Amino acid sequence: MPRKSNNSRQTRALLAALLERAQTWRHGYDLSKETGLKSGTLYPLLMRLSEQGLLESRWQEPERSGLPPRHVYRLTATGRALAREQELEAVATDRAGAWA
Amino acid sequence: MNAAPSRFRRLAVTLARHAARVLPGAPSSWAQAMRHELDYIADDSAALRWAFGCMLASYKARFVHRPRLSLRAAWRQLATSGALMLLIGLALQEHAGGQTEPPQPAFDETTCDLPGVSPELRPRLRCGTVSVRGITTSPTRAVSGWRSSLSRTSSSPRGRSLLSISVAAPANPSPSMPRIRPERPTRPAAI
Repeated sequence: MPRKSNNSRQTRALLAALLERAQTWRHGYDLSKETGLKSGTLYPLLMRLSEQGLLESRWQEPERSGLPPRHVYRLTATGRALAREQELEAVATDRAGAWA
Repeated sequence: MNAAPSRFRRLAVTLARHAARVLPGAPSSWAQAMRHELDYIADDSAALRWAFGCMLASYKARFVHRPRLSLRAAWRQLATSGALMLLIGLALQEHAGGQTEPPQPAFDETTCDLPGVSPELRPRLRCGTVSVRGITTSPTRAVSGWRSSLSRTSSSPRGRSLLSISVAAPANPSPSMPRIRPERPTRPAAI
């Protein structure tokens, strides 16, 4: 499958949210609330980033009994590099827009 | 969380289960992730929105990972569809042909033996039998304006009714020619 571009607004928002707390494992619902992405948009992005090796995931045991284990995510080293690169590009674009 | 799940919650769980089934490669960790996340959403309406989004995500993933259509399979489907359409077309054509083509009357000329007709008119008349397949109207109405002397019905080999009427009609009709009034048949026609 051809590698898709990760330059969409939704992908950039997700990468930025994951980069903000890069070492923390994040839940899908928390990411949805933080980025404003619906689950129908969020999960395809998470799946794609995971396929591309930019995201790692694992199962986290529940804090309370009676609840199922939770899938959690964080950026890999490659993912962090891409997220930083996009962040720098966004800053540069903002500065160029301000000077124009 | 309440002991008895609300209607929204039950619907959300149903949608999430459906999403898990639809997702390619199910039961996958992603399907379970979406389903399990639902239990951490306290608000029932939010859970329903979440489950609906999960279902959309599953269908998106299924669409993206659909098997590609091979050229051979495409040709096979095209050939099957074409053959089927051809058969349907031929069947319709045969059926429609029987409906649209009007029954053609056949005129079998015989010698005239009409005692009630004046000698002036006799040379200008033609006598014979008209046969029409599939006629369902009465013989008198069918030959209105003509003189009918005999009517009978019989069955054709294909099961259709066959009507035969002996008539006397003008050979060269003209507007000035007096009109011949139809006579009642000597016996009622059974069709």
